Amino acid sequence: MENTVLEWKDIVKKRDRMVLGPVSLKLQENYVTALIGRNGSGKSTLIKLAAQLIHPDEGEVMWFGQSYPHGLPAEVRSAIAYVPENFVSEEDGLKMDDVAEFRAAWYSNWDWQRYEELLHRFEVPGGKKLNKLSKGQRRKFEIAAALAIRPKLLLLDEPSSGLDPFAWKTMMNEIRRCVEEDGATVLLSTHIVEEIKRMADYLILIDKGRSLGLLEKDTLLDRVREVWIARDDELLAELPGIVDSALESENLSRFVTLDYVGAAALMEEAGIKPIRVRTLDLDEAMEYWMNGSISSV
Amino acid sequence: MRIPVQINESSAEPLYHQIETQLRSLIVTGQIAEGTLLPSIREFSADLKCSVITIRRVYQDLENEGLLRTRQGTGTFVAKVDTDDREAYRKQIVVDAVRELLDTSKSVGYSIAELRELLDETLREEERR
Repeated sequence: MENTVLEWKDIVKKRDRMVLGPVSLKLQENYVTALIGRNGSGKSTLIKLAAQLIHPDEGEVMWFGQSYPHGLPAEVRSAIAYVPENFVSEEDGLKMDDVAEFRAAWYSNWDWQRYEELLHRFEVPGGKKLNKLSKGQRRKFEIAAALAIRPKLLLLDEPSSGLDPFAWKTMMNEIRRCVEEDGATVLLSTHIVEEIKRMADYLILIDKGRSLGLLEKDTLLDRVREVWIARDDELLAELPGIVDSALESENLSRFVTLDYVGAAALMEEAGIKPIRVRTLDLDEAMEYWMNGSISSV
Repeated sequence: MRIPVQINESSAEPLYHQIETQLRSLIVTGQIAEGTLLPSIREFSADLKCSVITIRRVYQDLENEGLLRTRQGTGTFVAKVDTDDREAYRKQIVVDAVRELLDTSKSVGYSIAELRELLDETLREEERR
């Protein structure tokens, strides 16, 4: 029923000091997926593969169900917008509007009205050369230009770096609009928890070049719970998914489970009512995931 | 519109269940009137910081219960709630609260007799006011 917009199939890519893969992942149409992981874990490489700026050593990347090993055809390329983490310097000496003209010629769905509107919303001064823009303004320009092509696939590599909090909020609203109005599928790498909370439907966790899988954000949140119960060592030993436990006082135990549904069923069976149950914050839950305690699916 | 639904971080309930329960209650009690256009799935999910998958599930469940209606291209609206449903729902809220009370008493080792006595006492106090 759901369409796969992008697929990395058994991808291996060797970089200077790191090997990415083998990785197999899919992005479903019209969802926002956040790519998370430590610095140097391979997030940018995965995004560059999706933009076909680089080719895999093994495996293949599929766009809208097809692979294009000899280059993306114009109509596919013009449906993909990519905002890199660092901008290319070749365009530095060009004026904003000249760059926009160039992109308008290149991307068939380029929307001038949307471009102007976005520059206005982001409060980017017009007419400047790209190297005369501040880091934040340059990023705003790039995001505006990316959204102006009305992409079906939007690839953003740490889009919020250098943005002030107001521009950041505008950016999130505009990306959301792009998803809602244009039916875009979004992949963004980010370190900012608040961004993940507000935007993401799915999470992909990458660690040292390996994918720890794809999870629905709310599934991750729903699975993990911190629970306090009256001390019962026998029961505690039987509870599923325990990753952390402590005896807080003579009669009080605390534990973290990655299978709260299973744990709750067992507690109910034993007639034990938890004293308190707490949802973990997304960053805490992601840490348990990173440490290999949570499997996807 | 912004809907007064709040996710309780200390609740053991799954997200979709919390949202669904609160939204159902707002509709059935008439706090959100018939005909109201609800926020889009993407908008509501950003507001609650959950995924669109969760909100879609909530809207679908409530649509199946007849509380919501989706019009293609326009959005999701609050449907008409009939009086019987409203009464049944009011009762259910109190039944749930009584159950909760019962669980709490049990967890601190209160007997049924003690609880009954406490209830009677509280009700008498209420009547004297």
